[in-house]
Amino acid sequence: MSIPKQPINQRILKYTITIMIIIGSIWSASGLEITPERFLTAPGKIWILVSAMFPLDLSTEAIERIVPKVAESLFIAWAGTVIGAIFSFPISFIAASNVSKNSISKVTKQFLNIIRAFPELILAFVLLPVTGLGPLTGTLAVGIHSIGTLGKLSSEVIEGIDEGPLESIKSSGGSKINELLFGVVPQVMPTITSYWLYRFEINLRASAVLGIVGAGGVGAELINQLRFRDFPRAGTVLVVTILMVLIVDTISASIRRRIIKGRTIKV
Amino acid sequence: MITIKVPKKPPPSLLTVLGYPFAIIFSIFAFFQIGFNLEDFKKNLSNRRLVTDTLFNPKWDWAIENATMALVETIQIAILASIIGCFIALPLSFYASRATNQTSITYYIYKSFLNFIRTIPDLFWAMLFTVAVGLGPFAGVLALIMFSMAIMGKLLSETIDSIDMGPLEAAKASGANQNQAVFTSALPQILPNFTAYFLYIFELCIRASVILGLVGAGGVGRIIETQRIFLRFDRISPIIVFILVAVIAIEQFSVWLRRKIL
Repeated sequence: MSIPKQPINQRILKYTITIMIIIGSIWSASGLEITPERFLTAPGKIWILVSAMFPLDLSTEAIERIVPKVAESLFIAWAGTVIGAIFSFPISFIAASNVSKNSISKVTKQFLNIIRAFPELILAFVLLPVTGLGPLTGTLAVGIHSIGTLGKLSSEVIEGIDEGPLESIKSSGGSKINELLFGVVPQVMPTITSYWLYRFEINLRASAVLGIVGAGGVGAELINQLRFRDFPRAGTVLVVTILMVLIVDTISASIRRRIIKGRTIKV
Repeated sequence: MITIKVPKKPPPSLLTVLGYPFAIIFSIFAFFQIGFNLEDFKKNLSNRRLVTDTLFNPKWDWAIENATMALVETIQIAILASIIGCFIALPLSFYASRATNQTSITYYIYKSFLNFIRTIPDLFWAMLFTVAVGLGPFAGVLALIMFSMAIMGKLLSETIDSIDMGPLEAAKASGANQNQAVFTSALPQILPNFTAYFLYIFELCIRASVILGLVGAGGVGRIIETQRIFLRFDRISPIIVFILVAVIAIEQFSVWLRRKIL
């Protein structure tokens, strides 16, 4: 019995990728002066840090400081997502190539790409002198970045719709606005809403770190405690943050699943 | 006259009834908490010149001279971390999937381990690792390994959940044990997805590695941080442009490669 050979192109591609991966990692590791023994000693060092965090600092003073900061991160993430959702929704229609003009769609997509390329932290410290130290800066940074990502995702959803309903609206005399309102929106709304929630989950992690540049949230608390070598309190910050993220993730993921799956209706 | 019986519109679900008001109230509350003050905003708007004057007056020479090496370091961090992270995640995801791991205890352990890693933001990892192993790119590499491992673990284990169980069964029927069956029948099914996810994660790592330096974990962020403190936006803006170009170029490359592979 002869086994069929893989096509030659596939094999060449496979070898090229393997070689690229090996060369890439060797080049990077030597450039960064990272040796295998550094990887081997790392777990021990991390263990020292982790064991320094326990027992956690659960004094009321610490909790009273940390919980409002974590809540602030939650508000930044939510408000930022709201900003992103409100602005990205109309933009995504302009960027979708099937409902908008081709040239306009291309320009809008590039615009979204450029917004997306800026990390939230960089946006935050550019905004900082204008909007001041505090959660407002963080919210704007998260919001602007979300416009880019949500705009891209939503426009891709719009591009994937079924054109049938649009045609039937057009043939029964509906205007362009009617087409969008009754043809596109009902089709894309569930997916786009679930993307909003998904973005909220991502923004929650982003807003947690914004505090490093002073843009509000729990990040400042963690970096300060680590600088002052107050590890039990840093541990508390971490645990409270993880708990909050876990709870929000679980709730948001179950809502997303429900939105996508829909509800069974008895007729 | 023909009468058409129109089916009754179903009543709104509980999620809609509770969800919309809750979302609106929570949004208002959140914006209130963030404290948008128009007066302060107007006053601060005069500070705008502090940023804009320098931001749009980039010092290209300075940036080319000082930031090129750091930018290369950033890319190296991303390459190394995404490769190691993804290859650690590859076996883990098989244990964290219902399709290839029948023992429910180990399944939950691996699943919750991956979920736990995912809850900690990338820069938190970077901060922790800078304390644990010292400042420098090594901490950044470790942070991004955790970051890429978590994302790859989640994406890949969900892909493995939905593989075709036929080949797996066939391998077992011809006498393979669990590991052999997974290696010969499950792995080839998900390899194209693995490659696509790897490229996606590599893009994410490039973006993430830019800011690692802000907490001292190496890369171009280190230079941004030192210039940011002195509000030298004229030096930062060319670096941002370099990053933009690098990120977009790498993204285009990976889109091209993905199309080639799949």
